[in-house]
Amino acid sequence: MTESCGKTHKKIETPLARAKGLGSAKSGYKHWWMQRVTALALIPLSVWLLFHLPNIFTASYAEAQLWMSDPWNAVTLLLFLWAAFYHALLGLEVIIEDYVHCHVGKPVMLIFTRFLFLGAGVMAVYAVLKINFA
Amino acid sequence: MAKFTLPKNSKIGKGKSFKAENAGENKKTFRIYRWTPDGEENPRLDTYEIDMDKCGPMVLDALIYIKNNIDPTLTFRRSCREGICGSCAMNIDGTNTLACTKAIEDCRSDDNIKITPLPHLPVVKDLVPDLNHMYAQYASIEPWMKTDSPPPSQERLQSPEDANRLNGADGHGPAMCILCYCCTTACPSYWWNGDRYLGPSTLLQASRWVHDTRDEATGERLDQLEDPFKLYRCHTIMNCTSACPKGLNPAKEIAEVKKRIAERQH
Repeated sequence: MTESCGKTHKKIETPLARAKGLGSAKSGYKHWWMQRVTALALIPLSVWLLFHLPNIFTASYAEAQLWMSDPWNAVTLLLFLWAAFYHALLGLEVIIEDYVHCHVGKPVMLIFTRFLFLGAGVMAVYAVLKINFA
Repeated sequence: MAKFTLPKNSKIGKGKSFKAENAGENKKTFRIYRWTPDGEENPRLDTYEIDMDKCGPMVLDALIYIKNNIDPTLTFRRSCREGICGSCAMNIDGTNTLACTKAIEDCRSDDNIKITPLPHLPVVKDLVPDLNHMYAQYASIEPWMKTDSPPPSQERLQSPEDANRLNGADGHGPAMCILCYCCTTACPSYWWNGDRYLGPSTLLQASRWVHDTRDEATGERLDQLEDPFKLYRCHTIMNCTSACPKGLNPAKEIAEVKKRIAERQH
């Protein structure tokens, strides 16, 4: 018995056929590995950002621009954005795969999430570059 | 979507109540899940009062006492009554465990001890869940020795250290698993994706074969396991390890399988 999109489909199959399903995707390692790599990267990057954030929030636009014109600050911020968006995307993909079982809704949501995070990531990077080079 | 509430026909209602007659002070009450496939009735919780002076110390003793003396229709699995067969796995007092090794005294609820079948499985009757899918998942990892070399004329040799990797130096290695499925049915990830996720018990067994130095199919085994659902649905929630009535550590074994897959990439 399989369930998808609220519909129940009764299949006559042996328990072993059901357990084997479509077989192994022979992938999943990279997703798991990158989730850990980005998590590791986010430890120093988040500490760095939290250290600087209070000053940036209270700074004027000119002061913030000056702070970002420092190559170290700009590069570290770009690295943080990469790690944060990548890590969040991987996490959200796992949540969708965990809880959404509809064979139409799931791929649609996975694709939409990729677009959303790619778009948001590119926008964030563009903003940093624009402030830096404007 | 994953289902967070019970379907209408699975909602548990109030059941019958059986009082212990001519019992002294030493009494305990058990609330036990009852459901039969005959008829259209919803499941219910029946209440049984037991004279503890006439009943043994374990939860299984209480169940056998009820079946023998109060209500012969109560259905449950049991066999060895010493924690080695895994038949009497059920949810007792909110925790998956074996009825035969769980002392009534050790239940957190002093009285009114609730007993239900292993969670999130189809129920066959009362405390008997349908384990077919989990047995098939176990079969799918091909839990037997696979070799290409011609069989030796004597035993297949293994160093004591390598044997300890399977049995555990303290007797808590993956080969000590009794397949009671307390761990698998305690895993939320298995609840949501049990059709594809192999679950802690089967993955613990997979690790047992991956780490067997006599086996020659380690690579193929890892190929079969490397899958976003079969293996990587484990999110290290660790319910498996805290549920295991044998004191094994399925979460660690799953992490070891992930490590083996990582090792061959770098």
